[in-house]
Amino acid sequence: MAPTGILVALIVLTIALAAVFLMRPTITVGTTGKILAFAALCALPVLCIVTGMSAHMQRSEQTKFCISCHSMENYGKSLYVDNPNYIPAQHFQNHRVPPDMACYACHTDYTIYGPLKDKLKGITRIYLQYVSTPPNPIHISGGYSNLQCLHCHAGARSFEENPIHVAIMDSLKTNQMSCISSGCHDTVHNASEVDHLKMWRPAQ
Amino acid sequence: MKLRAIGILRFLQVSSSLIILGLLVEIVSLLWFHPLAFVLFAFVGASLMGLGILVYLASLVFAVSPPAENRG
Repeated sequence: MAPTGILVALIVLTIALAAVFLMRPTITVGTTGKILAFAALCALPVLCIVTGMSAHMQRSEQTKFCISCHSMENYGKSLYVDNPNYIPAQHFQNHRVPPDMACYACHTDYTIYGPLKDKLKGITRIYLQYVSTPPNPIHISGGYSNLQCLHCHAGARSFEENPIHVAIMDSLKTNQMSCISSGCHDTVHNASEVDHLKMWRPAQ
Repeated sequence: MKLRAIGILRFLQVSSSLIILGLLVEIVSLLWFHPLAFVLFAFVGASLMGLGILVYLASLVFAVSPPAENRG
């Protein structure tokens, strides 16, 4: 059974137990009833909240989740651009990042509270999408950090032995020189142009 | 009406109603694949369940208990 299926089964069980106390609260007179009430009205609901939160966090790591917002559609399309100079497309198409978690792999904050910070940022974006107006083009506040590139590339032979990287390694590691906006790997999503570009169609 | 005047049974019924409602919202949020599903879960479902749990815990503290002279 899929994790969501197990969670739904847990929720249904909790609903059934809670319904018993809605219809016959008098069963809490006995000790067994009191223990059951604690399970149905405190322990199991807490478990449902925690597992529900975990399920939602995992779901929001999926590529299809990110591009389900209208303003993200072109960013999703940019993963299929048939041009190896497009950094996100190159990573996505060659499985340098997990394709089903492509956005998350490059945009998450790889720190202990990173996923939580990402979720809070995500809520701000939901507000912009549905209440306010999303910026066009979309910018990452504070810019794109090299640490997200280095999370995978640091230590890799092709990265470490590249003479250009060797010459500027300190600047890259301290984020003084950006990987994507210093003239080296500067073709990123270009979301406004994707409708005019040749697309890669993966074989089914 | 003072909290102590409300019987534990009423507390339990309110608590279970809130928890059932919150759990139903959670099921909807899990079956709905959309960024708003998380908002629905976090701000509606989890809040209802949290309130239900608080009402249950309040029932343990505030609900009418038997008079002291009737206790063994």
